[in-house]
Amino acid sequence: MTELIQWLFNNWLLIVIPVLTFLTAYIVGIWLRRKSFDAFNRWSLKSKWFGTQLVIETFRNPFLHWFILLGLYLAVYVSVLDPEYKLIAGRIVSTLFLISIMLAIITLCEKLIKFYLTKRELFRAQIPLMVNIVRVTVIIVGLLIILDIWGMPTTPLILLLAAALLVAVFALRDTLPNLFYGANIAWSEQIKKGDFIETETGESGYITALNWRNTEIKTLEGSLTIIPNTVLARTRVINYGHPLKKASSPFHFYTRLTSKQLTGLKANNLQELAELLKGASESIIYYHTHNFLEEHNYLTPEPANDFALWVSDSLGHEILGERLASIDAFDYPSLDALKMRLIGVITDYMAHNPDDRRAPSGEAFHFIRSKIVILPTSYIAHDLREFIEVMKKITIDSIFYHIFEARLRLKKGSNDFSAWIEDCLGDKDLANKIAHLDPYTYTLEGLRSNIIEIVEKHTL
Amino acid sequence: MEENNNKQSKSKIQDYEPIVGRSYIEELRMLGDNLNNKVIQNINSTYVGGGVAEILDHLVPLVNQLGVDMRWDVIHGNNEFFTITKKIHNAIHGVQENITSDDFDLFMETTRQNARNLKLYGDIIFVHDPQPIALVDQKERIGRKWAWRCHIDASSPDETVWNFLHRFIIHYDAAVFSAPNFARQLTIPQFLISPSIDPLSDKNKELSAEIIHSVLSRYKLNQDKPMILQVSRFDRLKDPVGVIAAFEMVRKNIDCQLVLAGGTATDDPESEEVLKEAQDRASGNSDIHVLLIPPGSDIEINALQRAATVILQKSIKEGFGLTVSEALWKKKPVVATGVGGITLQVKHKFTGLLCHSIEGAAYSLRQLLTNKEYANWLGQNGHQHVKQNFLITRHVKDYLLLFLSLYYPDDVIYL
Repeated sequence: MTELIQWLFNNWLLIVIPVLTFLTAYIVGIWLRRKSFDAFNRWSLKSKWFGTQLVIETFRNPFLHWFILLGLYLAVYVSVLDPEYKLIAGRIVSTLFLISIMLAIITLCEKLIKFYLTKRELFRAQIPLMVNIVRVTVIIVGLLIILDIWGMPTTPLILLLAAALLVAVFALRDTLPNLFYGANIAWSEQIKKGDFIETETGESGYITALNWRNTEIKTLEGSLTIIPNTVLARTRVINYGHPLKKASSPFHFYTRLTSKQLTGLKANNLQELAELLKGASESIIYYHTHNFLEEHNYLTPEPANDFALWVSDSLGHEILGERLASIDAFDYPSLDALKMRLIGVITDYMAHNPDDRRAPSGEAFHFIRSKIVILPTSYIAHDLREFIEVMKKITIDSIFYHIFEARLRLKKGSNDFSAWIEDCLGDKDLANKIAHLDPYTYTLEGLRSNIIEIVEKHTL
Repeated sequence: MEENNNKQSKSKIQDYEPIVGRSYIEELRMLGDNLNNKVIQNINSTYVGGGVAEILDHLVPLVNQLGVDMRWDVIHGNNEFFTITKKIHNAIHGVQENITSDDFDLFMETTRQNARNLKLYGDIIFVHDPQPIALVDQKERIGRKWAWRCHIDASSPDETVWNFLHRFIIHYDAAVFSAPNFARQLTIPQFLISPSIDPLSDKNKELSAEIIHSVLSRYKLNQDKPMILQVSRFDRLKDPVGVIAAFEMVRKNIDCQLVLAGGTATDDPESEEVLKEAQDRASGNSDIHVLLIPPGSDIEINALQRAATVILQKSIKEGFGLTVSEALWKKKPVVATGVGGITLQVKHKFTGLLCHSIEGAAYSLRQLLTNKEYANWLGQNGHQHVKQNFLITRHVKDYLLLFLSLYYPDDVIYL
């Protein structure tokens, strides 16, 4: 004991210098922390970046630890310890310093990941995975540096890690682009869950899920379409945003297909035409006043009805042809009223024109009636945006059914679209706009475009 | 009795989506879904040769792809039987034929033999043309739904033959005709179903300029001169000499060439004679090309139609005249006589020009050769018209609607 005291007495300077060095570093550390964190706080107040607070919170305590470790390192350095012990002590201090930095970086990254990714749905579920990836990466890098500090060979480990990385990249070569584009889509926030999108490749529907690999959309037919993120990122996408007002009950699109039934009845002159018209059923009147519209839907304006065409082309009664052509089916509430008008025009003409010439051989007027099969399609609209999108896709048979058949043949009084918009969406103004459109003055494709345009203008 | 269920069409139903649209094919599938518990048995007299076999060959696989079990059987008969059925065929067309009571007896006896040998398994038995028509006698025994498809122009048939057929027709649940004027007054429902063309077949598919060029070179046709074309077999009813006469009127004022392309029929001894007449009439005129095209030269016909400036169909009598639809599909302006099913395809001044005489044909040809914009407008309209009304997909739809109609008598059917 006395030897130790004697030694301390003789060599007190050897003790005091390292201790003073340590204490100096510690005091400088405390002073520097105060100054620098005051500066950080001022910067934090000015900065709009929320991350400044996270940086300050994370580094406040480790900052002091680092000066303690710096003090220890300097104390060892100025001490009279054997160089071998100095080296070991220096490595230990450096290792502790590195571990402290690693912990601080991991803590900061975790906070930043949680702060940013919680806001993005695509990443929310992946936060634990991301945190673990950061932890492992920092620990591996730190471990390599520590090994280097202790003079151990790191090259084999680096090579091993590089090989593992290459294998992982190769195995995920198809998935990685999707992950990349998925991150890009989610980060840009140009599309979100619930948006209605339409791609240039023809897919359209509401986004039901965004995940790392792909984006799921529910189409208007009700099916689920999965689009890989690489495809979505490279194609032109129209985002219509969130759904509009939902209808109280959805619009189910139907279609109708027609078969033509021959009656065996034929007229060779006006007299026979008028007589046969009197006994003609509604389906015959309907067929001959709508057939040309459907069969020649590419022509504008369409000749109005088969009777007008026949009396002009086959009988040469062009004035009567014009009168019959000018009868607009849109003006008549029922097929019976339309029939009576046709008969009236023909009999009136006959009363003033007794020349009842016969049609040339082979050009008799054959009475045909249409038989319709009505089928539900898979298309349903819950709002006007869905309605527009379905209108772009359905066949002209479906449009024909909801506009022409509904009003005259099925005696609903109006077209189905107007009825739904008024009854289920409460939009009388839009319903009237469509109801007042005279469908007989358009081609069926023209009618489709007009309805879409009216609804689009109204919706926007 | 063998069944022809292994025939495979080259085209798949989805191959038609780019032409008619996805929704159209979806509607066909919906119709098919409503018939997927029914077996439809087609019965005709041959698997090969003739328009009916050609239609069924394309149509049956497409209907099968829609989930409908459609099959195809043929009846058998000796040469004598088929000689009689040929006479019946001609008589329906209005040709005077000498058909004796022995002939009718043989017809009935062959039908009875077929009824014994042929398994009638279909829920719907779809009989084509007159040869198997009397099989409907089995309806009383086995029931089922029966439909008769008449592919022939029956607008002015021989009354004796029609009366003989009529007693069978009225036992069917429905009859089907190709044009309104082919129909007769019957007590059973009659449907109008037009024939169709297949846009994906060799005869109608798109061709490259190189192929068209090589076909024109092979037939030594001037590629710089406007071309008037008529495609039809050499038959007086197609009036090839009248076509040449109309061309000669046009040629006086317009520098152009005429191509008469067609074949001769082995069962028509007149066709060689008609070909000779056309060749004689054309001799000495280097602008008239009478081309004898071998059977199966669909690509060649397609190339000629695509190279033509105006396509003519100056038939005196015509069944349906699908060469008109073929021309319209290729967006060609058409001049045609208003006979048979041509009036369904050519709406005068909308999808082509109708004529009724040689002079009328010449006038219309001049109009189209000198008014390119008008000719193009007619061609475009014609293409749309065929797309809407005369493609095989429409034919499939009409058949499926017919089968459904057999179970639903009302004019409006909700499925």
